[in-house]
Amino acid sequence: MSILEYNGAAILAMTGKNCVGICSDSRLGNQAQTVATDFEKIFKMGDKLMVGLPGLATDVITMKELLTFRLNLYRLREEREIKPETFSALMSHILYQKRFGPYFVEPIVAGLKEDNTPFISAFDLIGAPVVTDDFVVGGTCTNNLYGMCESFYRPDMDKDELFETMAQCLLTSVDRDALSGWGGVVHIITPEGIMSKTLKGRQD
Amino acid sequence: MASPMCVGTSILDTGARKAPAAGPAEAQAGVPGMFGLPNVANPAAFCSANLGCGYGTDHAQDIKFAKGTTTLAFKFQGGIIVSVDSRSTMGPYIASGTVKKVIEINPYLLGTMAGGAADCSFWERNLGIQCRMYELRNKERISVAAASKLLSNTMSQYRGYGLSMGTMVAGWDKTGPQLYYCDDDGTRLHGNLFSVGSGSTYAYGVLDTHYKYDMTDEEAIELGKRAIYHATHRDAYSGSINNVYIVKPTGWVKVHAGDVNDMHYKLAEEKAAIAASRAGAEEKAP
Amino acid sequence: MGDSAYSFSLTTFSRTGKLLQIEYALMAVQQGKTSLGIKATNGVVIVTEKKLPSVLIDSDEVSKISLVTPSTGFVYSGLGPDYRVLARKSRKQAQAYYNIYREVQPVGQLVRDTAGVMQEYTQRGGVRPFGVSLLVAGYDDDGPQLYQVDPSGAYFGWKATAIGKNFVNAKNFLEKRFSEEAELDDAVHTALLTMREGFEGEMTEKNIEDRKFRILSEQEGKDFLDEAN
Repeated sequence: MSILEYNGAAILAMTGKNCVGICSDSRLGNQAQTVATDFEKIFKMGDKLMVGLPGLATDVITMKELLTFRLNLYRLREEREIKPETFSALMSHILYQKRFGPYFVEPIVAGLKEDNTPFISAFDLIGAPVVTDDFVVGGTCTNNLYGMCESFYRPDMDKDELFETMAQCLLTSVDRDALSGWGGVVHIITPEGIMSKTLKGRQD
Repeated sequence: MASPMCVGTSILDTGARKAPAAGPAEAQAGVPGMFGLPNVANPAAFCSANLGCGYGTDHAQDIKFAKGTTTLAFKFQGGIIVSVDSRSTMGPYIASGTVKKVIEINPYLLGTMAGGAADCSFWERNLGIQCRMYELRNKERISVAAASKLLSNTMSQYRGYGLSMGTMVAGWDKTGPQLYYCDDDGTRLHGNLFSVGSGSTYAYGVLDTHYKYDMTDEEAIELGKRAIYHATHRDAYSGSINNVYIVKPTGWVKVHAGDVNDMHYKLAEEKAAIAASRAGAEEKAP
Repeated sequence: MGDSAYSFSLTTFSRTGKLLQIEYALMAVQQGKTSLGIKATNGVVIVTEKKLPSVLIDSDEVSKISLVTPSTGFVYSGLGPDYRVLARKSRKQAQAYYNIYREVQPVGQLVRDTAGVMQEYTQRGGVRPFGVSLLVAGYDDDGPQLYQVDPSGAYFGWKATAIGKNFVNAKNFLEKRFSEEAELDDAVHTALLTMREGFEGEMTEKNIEDRKFRILSEQEGKDFLDEAN
């Protein structure tokens, strides 16, 4: 079994009209054993920027700390907030720096650009960037998530439609994945702020 | 065409090949030789290397099989409770949530399914045939001991071929309620309480804590449901519907089929209510 | 570096608390050709004198202004070879920044990093300070910017300034002529007028070099010069 599947995760980012969403499941497992059902995998990186880290839990935490560190330095040096595109480039760089001993995470970045248009990107564990204008997925049930998103994504959804679509895509996907689920969380990023809601999911 | 040493897609086109002529009656009853074996020097080694079906053994294997997961059965004052989940997984993918893991061998015999779904359902149906043959020949029902022995004999014959099966055979015969555990390496155990599958440890935890021989039927059924619920919550490879059977002198009865997720939120509500009433009582106390 | 028994710092404090090597470096700058910069509303102009000691030198091969990022340029007063070392390091730094962030390094960042290098050469063993002052002109999200970086590693942001020979006079002149509302064309005009004040000999399109993120062609330089004369 891949080390990326050791703890289990499902993360999805999707674009809307002047809004962008990122959501994840809540499970932390040790292979088959569910250890916690309130594990955070999505982290705030700015007022309009979040990152999701599906993969090996220890590296999820390390990566979060590392990104926070780099971002704090960036803010002090540059006296400004990082743009999602720039953060994406930084992410790719950080990951490739460990080309021959990677962090076992496949990050997903979601944010609003300066003009409040959405930006989403995903990476493999050594930093190959994928930037799309509809949705990106990651974790142990990407097949399921792709199937749901391909079916239910529509361009230019408002924030409520986006929330509903993402929640349904996530919950339905994880219900067919043994390693993720046990509830979830959705963050919708809008110019006014981030709306976060927890999802009640199946507990098996 | 795939070389004989590797499994190609040809093994999947079961309909395309000419059906072999039906063998003698003994072959139908599960004597080795009724299956076509791979044309290699060591068919057993080949099968267990490429067609193995156990937990964690087929991750590196090209072919992954559907597997069953948490099952339990225990004897008590009122008979035997058999309680199972219904999830079937292929790797991390949940292939089904509506698998019947209790196999109704005949009105007095139940078998449970853990391990390879195909292996369990095939060999327990085969056991049903053998039990019926016994009944016709001997004009009386087979004992649970004998039935389970038939199954374990079959398992012994195929030992080393990579079968995966962990089953409990439960029933009521002349000697009363009987419970046996059989598995693919030929193990056959007689006992009062078993749990089999990847979620079995969690089920054992609940059963060992709350089990009493003198339970009423209702209490026993509730224990069977609880143990499966806790197992499905913790174990990734168990879940969905909980089916519960009780074995009585008159044969088995299916007493429950419910979603474990509904059970989770019902139990959470009850827990919250108890905590609230306890907090209320503490406030009044001083 | 720094592990040889003799690689102690050459730049040590005098008893009066001064770092003489840095002051000497500054004197080298003040003997260098004048350079000046003016910030306009829509850009920055930097100009330097390109008077050559011999007519035999091919002026086409002399370039004192260099591009560091697509939107930032350097000019200097002082020692040419020292300047080239700095420009090379800064260009490399700007590329390293681009490699990480896929974004052009902002002017302020580049100035800070370059000043950092210059400071290091006032403290490290086995080296001497750079004999140059830089004018850094650039345009980024914060608009047009003009900075001066000295051999000590100190740096300042200016609306308009001058370095090198005659810098005091040039600055006095700029103080009188500077306008907050001026656009680039006006700024180029003011810059050339200022240059002419302290220019020894005739100012021609061949011996003036200026750049607003691009070096003006000789013809463009001539047009501006005609206006200024």
